Amino acid sequence: MTPARRTALALLWLAALLVAGWVVGQRLELSGDLRRFMPEPRTPAQKLLVDELGDGPGSRLLLLSLSGAGADVLAGQSRALAATLAANPDFEFVANGIDAGLDAVPESLRPYRYLLSPTLDGQRLDADYLGEQLDERLQDLGSPMAGLVEPLLPADPTLEMLALAEAWLPKAAPQRLHGVWFDADGAEALLLAQTGAAGFDPTAQQRAYDAVHAAFAEASGDSGAQLRMTGPGAFSVEIGGRTAREAQWIGSIDSIALVLLLLVAYRSWRAPLLGVLPLATAGLAGLGAVALAFEAVHGITVAFGFTLIGVVQDYPIHFLSQQRAGIDPRDNVRALWPALVTGVVATCIAYLTFLFSGVDGLRQLAVFTISALAAAAFATRFGLPALVDPAPRDLATSPRLQALWRGIERLPRPRWSLLLLAAACVAVLMAARGPFWENDLSKLTPVPEEGMALDARLRQELGAPDVRYVVVLRGDDADAALAATEALHPRLDVLVAEGALGGYDSAARYLPPVATQRARQRALPTPGQLRTALAEAMAGTPFREDAFAPFLADVERARTAEPLRPADLAGTPLAATVDSLLLQGDGSVAEQGATALVSLSGLADIDAVARAAAAAGGDLLDMKAASESLVAEYRGRVLAALAVAALLLAATVWIALRTPGRVARVLLPMALTTLVVLAVLRGFGIELNLFHLVALILAAGLGLDYALFFEHAGDRRDDQLRTLHAVLVCSLMTALVFSLLALSSIPVLRAIGSTVAIGVVSNFVLALLVSRHAAVPQASPPSALRAPSPAEAGEGTLQDRDAKEQPAPLPPPAGEGARRADGGNPAGQPR
Amino acid sequence: MLKAPLRIEGEYARPDDETLVREVRAPYAETTTIRGGEATIAREGRRPRSFALSRAPELAGLQASFGALLAGDAAALERDYRIESSGRREDWTLVLVPRGEALAASVRDITLRGRGAELRCIETRPVDGEPQRTLLAGAARAAIAAGDAADDAALCRETGIATR
Repeated sequence: MTPARRTALALLWLAALLVAGWVVGQRLELSGDLRRFMPEPRTPAQKLLVDELGDGPGSRLLLLSLSGAGADVLAGQSRALAATLAANPDFEFVANGIDAGLDAVPESLRPYRYLLSPTLDGQRLDADYLGEQLDERLQDLGSPMAGLVEPLLPADPTLEMLALAEAWLPKAAPQRLHGVWFDADGAEALLLAQTGAAGFDPTAQQRAYDAVHAAFAEASGDSGAQLRMTGPGAFSVEIGGRTAREAQWIGSIDSIALVLLLLVAYRSWRAPLLGVLPLATAGLAGLGAVALAFEAVHGITVAFGFTLIGVVQDYPIHFLSQQRAGIDPRDNVRALWPALVTGVVATCIAYLTFLFSGVDGLRQLAVFTISALAAAAFATRFGLPALVDPAPRDLATSPRLQALWRGIERLPRPRWSLLLLAAACVAVLMAARGPFWENDLSKLTPVPEEGMALDARLRQELGAPDVRYVVVLRGDDADAALAATEALHPRLDVLVAEGALGGYDSAARYLPPVATQRARQRALPTPGQLRTALAEAMAGTPFREDAFAPFLADVERARTAEPLRPADLAGTPLAATVDSLLLQGDGSVAEQGATALVSLSGLADIDAVARAAAAAGGDLLDMKAASESLVAEYRGRVLAALAVAALLLAATVWIALRTPGRVARVLLPMALTTLVVLAVLRGFGIELNLFHLVALILAAGLGLDYALFFEHAGDRRDDQLRTLHAVLVCSLMTALVFSLLALSSIPVLRAIGSTVAIGVVSNFVLALLVSRHAAVPQASPPSALRAPSPAEAGEGTLQDRDAKEQPAPLPPPAGEGARRADGGNPAGQPR
Repeated sequence: MLKAPLRIEGEYARPDDETLVREVRAPYAETTTIRGGEATIAREGRRPRSFALSRAPELAGLQASFGALLAGDAAALERDYRIESSGRREDWTLVLVPRGEALAASVRDITLRGRGAELRCIETRPVDGEPQRTLLAGAARAAIAAGDAADDAALCRETGIATR
């Protein structure tokens, strides 16, 4: 095959990948639902967090502030923004202070006002009360409110509707200017928007975030006004964007550096192309497999997955470094295959444990990495040989590499020093202060200081509910939960009066339990009683005698109606509010009962609220504690899976290599490196999280490959030189990529970057010191790496048939003497 | 709703350029403070209520007359209303027709009548219902003097010269 044809084939492959990538991209459904990455919840708090809530009631709220223009201009923009968002189905409600009047009470519920409002609890609807009320109404008619009040009076002379609408207002509403909420200084118009989607659904939150910005852009025009947005959803979108931008920026530098490195390492412009093909194939195979096997691919699967398969970048490099004149590329790859396949199979078996972790996200990750690693191995084995230049410069002849290797050979073989290193690492781990694990996932994506301050200020101004704490009350059914909540109200009112609590909101504020509604019905006068009382009250007033006929009809309707239940609210604006505070199971055996939530704002004395909740038979739920316990449990599962994986990996290597000495050579650098990475991180006081764990898995996989290839190179100098070149390129490349990540300002990227970068350096050094065989230059034939015969290769076994088993027994290298004293089988020694 | 039109007496005050206070003295006491697009109504022994000015068309008329007129801000008045003026110095009439859709939906027009520098009557005609009149200065004094027998509509239209 001519070079031109090979290049054309490589480009064809790349083009096919692009097409396949487009096809996969079309049917790929990315999901941002974090619950896929959560283990089964166990405690009631976790269940609430994962199954029902998503997050606290406050976490679906976006807090908006408009500033930078006159109050009347901002008020107009606030109204326009609220109108646009209210029409958007992604938002459950938008509040800006407008419509706080009667429109809050749906028409269909108006006759029920005497059942919903507490006004008559301590007050009979008698002549005295009605007389008092009619005097008030007369004044209302003479006030500027007349136009608002007059249409209501015939049916509602006590203005119960207004009382109800006011009772339903947020307890601590901000001041209003020009009809909408403003901050205390009158400089910022304030709005609240609640999204339908959970705060942890990044896709939906991004949509909501964009909708708010688009609506504001339209409303503000060129007025120069500014929009600021806080709340969990806004923060996650902004941090997500920042992370993506930084990752992209680092990725671009990395790509340029990689191309340069490959160009320099192989002095061929085709090397970067060939280097990228297996990785791209692997990524696509992984995505395709996950897309086929699962409903929706989680965003985290993709991010973690591409991190983990970074190891496949090494496969073509080993192949390219070994290629030289005189060896057919197919024989070359066949010779490499045992080491390569041992690494791949061992890693794949390790990832298999994730399939049994009970976490959907981890299963996806397993499917992704296993398919990707297999695809990369096959792409290297069967795809690349046809594409490479069969006779490039033999890297073993490089004087610089030779000089480097001579230097390395002079290094002593570490023995006791390794034990010392391990002991030192353990000592550091023991001595390191602070918690070992970081359970607070929010620390990984820190909100900028000013964002936190703004959020706290807006939350206080708007009286928005606390994101972290919520009171939970359970009942056998919705009504029981409502009754429990209602019983808690007086206790909370006391706390509000004492200043321990700013305010609260609950479903029972809008919909009292049936018993309360029935009691109120019993207290309403009969039509005859009411008519008499009204006539007495109206005597001597300027009101017309028949002015209040609709009132009599409404009271009788309220007195005889069936009490309102949650289902009756369907289709009214109250439904969203009540539904978000009253969670009802689907009626199945597993989900019987209902849970009522009481959202809290301005929480000053947490213990007092917890005591009040407990006294009313409820719990003060700490969302943060619940999510941290979930993270801890999740990590427990990952660690258990990893422990099993480590055993399986060791077993696979053992089966492949057979000899204890060789197994030790391969596994020791990897195990020690894990210890070194942990010690360095903990030594710097870093608390470990899931991202460190994932990165450790990648580092271990890289270490395994380095060790396998060094070990595989045997004792022939030329092979060792070429392997040195390959591993040098591999580790330089990986170290470069992840060092840049380690410099990132985003803790997630920093965690992955630092872990892998330390791991690569340590793995490289240890693999070089521990895994390589002492060279026997005089025994080296021209074609050092023995290519197996086609028949042998056809067997396709895992068994390592590397060069050193073939020649006649050699005397043990001088440096190996001490190894024997250890009692172990000296590595490289023929059996 | 009422057998007879409701009559109340009181005073308007403008403590500063941004604030208008409407103080009712009889037959009951009530203070309305209009400021920053909001009206706050305070009564003895009650929690003050406030609501947006845009919800009360009557107040829009007040705002137009007192706010813009007293401040001599013809441009502001012109921005919100089409203005037709008629009469002479001793007996003038300004008819304000709202330009904005929101206000026009509830207010047909606002008629201001006066004599020289004296604004004597503000008549707000809603789209539905009876006109509402605010008698001021000489007209108000005449109405108080006439007691319950006062004909508000006539007093509003009077120039004030004839009665003297």
